[in-house]
Amino acid sequence: MNKILRTLIPFDIAKGLSITGKHFAKVFFTANRRTVRYHITSEYPEVVAKVQPRFRGRLTLLKDEQGEIKCVCCLACEKICPTQVITIEKGKKEGRKMPFPVRYDFEMERCIFCEFCVESCGFDSIILNHQFELAAYNREDFSLGMEGLGQNMYEPSPVGKFSVADD
Amino acid sequence: MPTPTLTQSIVITLIQCVLVVIFVFVVVPLTVFAERKVLGYLQQRLGSTRVASGHVGITGWMNRGMWKWGRIPVLSYWRGIPGLVADVLKLILKEDVIPAKADKFVFFISPAISMVSAVVVFAAVSFVPGTFFTLPTWFPFVGGLPVSGGIADINVGLLWILGVASVGVYGIVLAGWASNSKYPLLGGLRSAAQMVSYEVPLAMSLLAPVVLTGSLNFGEMSKVMATGLPFWGLVPQILGFLIYLTCGFAETNRLPFDMPEAENELVAGFHTEYSGMKFGFFYLAEYINMTVVSALAAGFFLGGPWLLPFGLQGLLNPYLPSFLTWFGQPHAIFFVVKIIFLLFTYIWVRGTIPRYRYDQVMSVAWKYLIPMALFNLLLAAVVRCFAV
Repeated sequence: MNKILRTLIPFDIAKGLSITGKHFAKVFFTANRRTVRYHITSEYPEVVAKVQPRFRGRLTLLKDEQGEIKCVCCLACEKICPTQVITIEKGKKEGRKMPFPVRYDFEMERCIFCEFCVESCGFDSIILNHQFELAAYNREDFSLGMEGLGQNMYEPSPVGKFSVADD
Repeated sequence: MPTPTLTQSIVITLIQCVLVVIFVFVVVPLTVFAERKVLGYLQQRLGSTRVASGHVGITGWMNRGMWKWGRIPVLSYWRGIPGLVADVLKLILKEDVIPAKADKFVFFISPAISMVSAVVVFAAVSFVPGTFFTLPTWFPFVGGLPVSGGIADINVGLLWILGVASVGVYGIVLAGWASNSKYPLLGGLRSAAQMVSYEVPLAMSLLAPVVLTGSLNFGEMSKVMATGLPFWGLVPQILGFLIYLTCGFAETNRLPFDMPEAENELVAGFHTEYSGMKFGFFYLAEYINMTVVSALAAGFFLGGPWLLPFGLQGLLNPYLPSFLTWFGQPHAIFFVVKIIFLLFTYIWVRGTIPRYRYDQVMSVAWKYLIPMALFNLLLAAVVRCFAV
């Protein structure tokens, strides 16, 4: 009986319509506001897009307070990397006890952004930052290292036109 | 008031036709645009906000300036509106491909059949009873003459509407057949079956107003339905409205019942092989059909040019205070607002209710809607017999 009544009288349809109607009204009256909005999309190229805190972007080498590279060349990241995109060359530096990476190459074209390198790092010397606009026109632009024209591992790369600053 | 000669009344009819065509071709593109925006808003997004890159043209320049200024553009609601022009331009400029083995003449004529049968229904729709407006005296040849609210408010208006609207099925089924391809044929047959099935409860739900008013004239029916019914007339009106609206959705192949457009089964249904402006005609015909169904629902059930729906106006009119008489009078603006609200309802329902399966569509028509429409007819007859 209840089922027949629900079939004949469109209560459920009315409920659904009221839900979507509320959504429509909320978005309609708040679409032009700058602060409190109801729609969940963002005007991406014009407005800076926000990513979630756990977002895995491009690999970045970190420096400590003295401006020294924190990496000590334990090669843990190089070993664990499933696609073998990290190449480290061990070296020495004046006035530094720990080994110093003379070369730290990162081939971004093959990186799968799995964050194993960051998890394996015992010295917290690398992170994946929040940068997601990683497209480039040349293959060479994807090989990042400690030296080179702008494509270094410390700063956000200049590839994306509308870059997002790291948090 | 002078009585017009034959030539003058022909000219006046032409003026009415032009007005109706302007109305249709203003409402239809706005519906296409509103479809994007309203669907977006229903799903918590903004719908179309840019055309091409958003950095092109006047609006792009304005938008860029606003963004640079650090503001969200003022016309944020309407930033997709140039998309209307872009759509029409795309349809007109696109290459018009005709399949090599298609039946050329039928392939050519079927979009026209759909389109014409959709537009011609408006001939019998009366927007406002009596005189709509009087032409100004400086108007050449027909100055000072009254223009009535409908093009031809004929005494068999409902028959005309139902008959001409049914011809639209020919457009679809002929398009499917003439394409000489499997998917359009199946899609055309399918939507023809659907439309023919839903024609039955649609006509039956429109029989209730006929029984209640005892007329087939659109203006007369909308007048009696709005102002001349007793209190118990509400029940068959509301039930009939729900049945009519459901059938109208199915009749225009809109989303809860959009059988022809099943991408995984039928590609795009009957208009798979159509491109360019021929496809545009089908597209326009769909939206004009929506407007027609909305106009009929507004005229028969929502009180037409009177303010209140379901005959409440007639119940309320004796108690209206004198300063509110404007709301007791018929106005074309009420009618247009109701049509626009029903068009919004189309999109609203599309954004809410998921699609039916094909057998479910058929069972809804034959097992539920037809008995309900018959029951509604019985209710209307009882009201007519005892209460009027």
